[in-house]
Amino acid sequence: MELNLNVLRMASQLAAHSSARQVVITENIAHADTPGYRARDIGDFASTLDASSQPFEARATRPGHMPFGTGAGGYEVREVAAFGAESPNGNSVSLEDQMMRSAQVRESHDLALGVYRKSMDILRMSLGQR
Amino acid sequence: MSDMTKVMAAASSGMQAQAARLRLSSENIANADTPGYRRKIVSFEETFDRASDVRAVATGPMQLDRSELSRVYDPNHPMAGDDGFYESSNVNLMLEIADAREANRSYEANLKMFDQARQMASSVLDLLRR
Repeated sequence: MELNLNVLRMASQLAAHSSARQVVITENIAHADTPGYRARDIGDFASTLDASSQPFEARATRPGHMPFGTGAGGYEVREVAAFGAESPNGNSVSLEDQMMRSAQVRESHDLALGVYRKSMDILRMSLGQR
Repeated sequence: MSDMTKVMAAASSGMQAQAARLRLSSENIANADTPGYRRKIVSFEETFDRASDVRAVATGPMQLDRSELSRVYDPNHPMAGDDGFYESSNVNLMLEIADAREANRSYEANLKMFDQARQMASSVLDLLRR
């Protein structure tokens, strides 16, 4: 018998992606009033599944180098700016835009957990346990 | 450090910074009529902790606003000079109220992110409870 657990793997990848994205968005919101801070975000989940596009990462030749590009989580962090969010002090965080993004994160995280739970239920049902 | 702990660390650093700003703002308002008082201001800075990998926000050193003190004509005032003027504070109440409003708004946004991280973590833990 072959168990196809790809759906579980993909659901947990989506949950990991949305929590990594939540970290970046929270950092943006914490820096909503920091002069010179640029708003950042990570790419959508579909692009992380696309194996043909190689993620960018700066080469670190010494342990003291600051990592940038793809972080430890394997997601590429980019600068994004909402239209008209630029402040005179060089800050490009728009609280409204970040709230919108965090709602998207919440939605995809709920989706991932919902799919995971449902798949587990189906497995459990097929094993005859309720 | 897990993603959700990172979110909470970043959000709480943002809340601390905004609370410090709000405190200075209310100190300025309280001293709006203190002769010779200079408005206190603080700037936000980005800090990066390599161990926890969180880009937190911190308040920089407190500075005094160097703009001119307002001169008030009141010959009966004990600190009035020969010309009847004395130097009051350089606090602009309108500016302080606007600053406090902005701090309040950013504080709430940080709090919302903190709450969302908590809910996301608890919904993951709910999967274990089944």
